[in-house]
Amino acid sequence: VNRQEMADEFDSQVEMLLRPRDSARTASDPLLKLGAELRMLPNPEFRSRLKDQLVEDWISNRPDAGSRNTHPLKGAKGGATSGVAEQRECIEGAQALAGIALLTGKRSGLFPADHRSFLVSFASHAALIALIASGIFVVRNTALKPASLTSELTYPLSGKGGGGSGDRSVIQATRGTPPKFSDQQLSPPAIVVRNPEPKLAVDTHVLGPPDIKLPQSNHIGDLISSNVVMPSNGTGAQGAAGDGLGLGLGSGKGPGVGPGSNGGSGGAPFRPTDRITAPRAIYDPQPEYSEEARKVKHQGVVVLALVVDPQGQARNIRVARSLGMGLDEKAIEAVKTWRFAPGMKDGMPVAVQVNVEVYFRLY
Amino acid sequence: MKALERGPDERMAIEAAQRDPLRFAELYEQNFDRVYAFIARRAAGREEAQDLTAEVFHQALASLERFKWQGAPFIAWLYGIATNVLAAHWHKLGRDPEQLSEDWEQGGTDEIERRAMLAELVESLLPDQRTVIVRRFVEQRSIREVAEELGRSEGAVKQLQLRALENLRDKMGRRT
Repeated sequence: VNRQEMADEFDSQVEMLLRPRDSARTASDPLLKLGAELRMLPNPEFRSRLKDQLVEDWISNRPDAGSRNTHPLKGAKGGATSGVAEQRECIEGAQALAGIALLTGKRSGLFPADHRSFLVSFASHAALIALIASGIFVVRNTALKPASLTSELTYPLSGKGGGGSGDRSVIQATRGTPPKFSDQQLSPPAIVVRNPEPKLAVDTHVLGPPDIKLPQSNHIGDLISSNVVMPSNGTGAQGAAGDGLGLGLGSGKGPGVGPGSNGGSGGAPFRPTDRITAPRAIYDPQPEYSEEARKVKHQGVVVLALVVDPQGQARNIRVARSLGMGLDEKAIEAVKTWRFAPGMKDGMPVAVQVNVEVYFRLY
Repeated sequence: MKALERGPDERMAIEAAQRDPLRFAELYEQNFDRVYAFIARRAAGREEAQDLTAEVFHQALASLERFKWQGAPFIAWLYGIATNVLAAHWHKLGRDPEQLSEDWEQGGTDEIERRAMLAELVESLLPDQRTVIVRRFVEQRSIREVAEELGRSEGAVKQLQLRALENLRDKMGRRT
């Protein structure tokens, strides 16, 4: 009772301290002095928001972000194109060749030559040859195929369980692997450890059958998060890790792992079947050709494994078959901008795992 | 006043961030509290302090590649940027930027260290205690609102509040 009375009395003094008209008064009690100093601390949300903003600004302002807009292949879609400079070079080359008397038919005598038609035909052929010679006549096809690979980045389809939380960061929890499952959860997982020197150190666990095996590593995190850079406990609000609710790890609700609820592991992306329709690309700008690959006329197919989320966005993109020479990065860069009609199950959009084949060919 | 503990590998962290600016996050986390405390001491309110702190870190990231390690702590470089940002802000408001250096000499460093330490110690509190402190003092919410959020009685929240402040006082005492 005494303790409660003390707390009540102290709170009434705190109330006075927090009143705008009394906020400037000097507190004599050491605890109230501390309270007055606490009023000046920054909002924790500001701290995490600024961190995200710094990254976003840097990514959008970095030097190569601007150069992409002036890339000569910018605007190419499924066929040949060239920049203004290349077109001008081709036309000038064609004009020079057009001066050869024999080709214009001036000395042939057999057939009357239509000089204008001939010159147009000659110029277009010359331009085509120049384009082929310069290696920028590019055809890039893409194909969306059902996933044939088992991704280690997905949660096993072991039930509807799941869990997650976080500490109100505005970015997703960092990608990593969850701690081991246990029947009893003494301490929830955390990616950014807020208390590095706890009085009683306890191993973190997620709640679920201990026989569920998930990939393990030294980096605690959300298996399917797209955030691989910034340390973050996720957008949840209960002090564990992830973007959901509860003391688990992931976007779900509860003490388990993944997007499901109530412990265990769940919510893996579906794979297209009779009952689950595959996603369909509805906006699919073609990738650019990397300068390095174009120079040596490197061609082939990049296979990307990804999850199309219920909102129609590509998530967890990874290279399932690499082509190298910068083409993997170009393929990822393009597919990140794609929009899909999501896969459907029982009339509801669901996350579906698919492979995307991106062809790079030079003619 | 004992300074906040700094990592022995600050130089490595700076060089890593210079190679890959996405690694700037580590430097940001290490130095945010001090920079904010430095700014907040001279700002008119929280909103202004947050705007100016954001400006400092934006400038720091933009000019990070020009930073040369000379043995001085990274925070010193950040304070330099913060001083410039504050001076420009004061100039806009018609205040005399000269006061900044005077203020710095009048024991300002101790207060900054104390506030930065306090911010760090709040993070080390138990989750419920941390929530009460942030909601009550930083966001200035009522006991009733905090009690509703935590699903506890108002009396329990008042006790949490008292215990959290006592913990902070003890931890501060051990550090100083």
